[in-house]
Amino acid sequence: MFRPFADWLADTTLSKTLQNLPWVVPTSQSLHILAVSIVFSSACMINLRLMGVGRSGRSVSQLSATLIPWMWRALAVLLFTGLIQTVTEPVRQFVTPMFWAKMMMIIVVATMTAVYAKAVRRNAPLWDAAASRPAPAKAFAILSTLLWLAIIFCGRFIGYTWSFYA
Amino acid sequence: MNIAELLDHIEGWWISAAMRGELPGTEWLFPIIETLHVMAFTIVFGSIAMLDLRLLGISSRASAVSRLSNEVLPWTWTAWCLAAVFGTLMFMAKAQTYAGNLEFRLKFVCMGLAALNMLIFHFGTFRRVASWDSAEPPPSAKAAGALSLLLWMGVVFFGRWVGFTT
Repeated sequence: MFRPFADWLADTTLSKTLQNLPWVVPTSQSLHILAVSIVFSSACMINLRLMGVGRSGRSVSQLSATLIPWMWRALAVLLFTGLIQTVTEPVRQFVTPMFWAKMMMIIVVATMTAVYAKAVRRNAPLWDAAASRPAPAKAFAILSTLLWLAIIFCGRFIGYTWSFYA
Repeated sequence: MNIAELLDHIEGWWISAAMRGELPGTEWLFPIIETLHVMAFTIVFGSIAMLDLRLLGISSRASAVSRLSNEVLPWTWTAWCLAAVFGTLMFMAKAQTYAGNLEFRLKFVCMGLAALNMLIFHFGTFRRVASWDSAEPPPSAKAAGALSLLLWMGVVFFGRWVGFTT
């Protein structure tokens, strides 16, 4: 169903221009890795604190207020570089289920993060003390970490699986 | 034994053959190890970037530098060791090819310079951290932060390029 669209996109002037610049994909992928490093490290720092793992440092609300804006900025870079890679090599992306699984998980984890960020902003003291922290905090922390790991896995495996489906 | 012979010898090990997917059931070993290498590295870069951005006075300004490094660096080192182990396994698959690859060599030049920059900072400006811990970092600290960010970006760029040139 997406294959005709991918073939059409690959045939557009924009896609062909990008395809003829061999540095575009490696550069975009490098920026993509830098941006996902910011997102995943930030998520891990917050999630480990929510789980009570690691040396004590900043509180949950301090960490979230500092790092979540960086996560959104890095996500914007991920979206932009991901778009460049998709326009340049649409077939590679659209044919493999790894791509669609990745997209779905990104929607889930981004929504979860937005809901979490709002909850912490609304009542910081409640989230900072381990005793009063809402019950879903640990579940959020574990699920968000696993989702980011799965997203990175699927991202890397797009490159290793697409040729089976193309 | 000279280096060429050593690299040739390494490629003959069974673990190298497994990394090349030549042994039964190891077809997916390299992609999996590579994914783990990327996952570990995202934590290395992301955690170092948090410190570097603090040294530049851009982010985490409310946290003292010493406290932030105490909070972040144990994760950086843990993740670096994991990335090094997975990276070594990847290297063993095609030791001679990687050793002769320009981008691979430049990646390690960047990492060596990043280590040197870190040592100079650690035994220089950081020894007097008490005098600027919660204030605007001195120019030498800012320079160390900027240099570290650039060099680690170089590690990512050259690392990604290795995959396109080997």
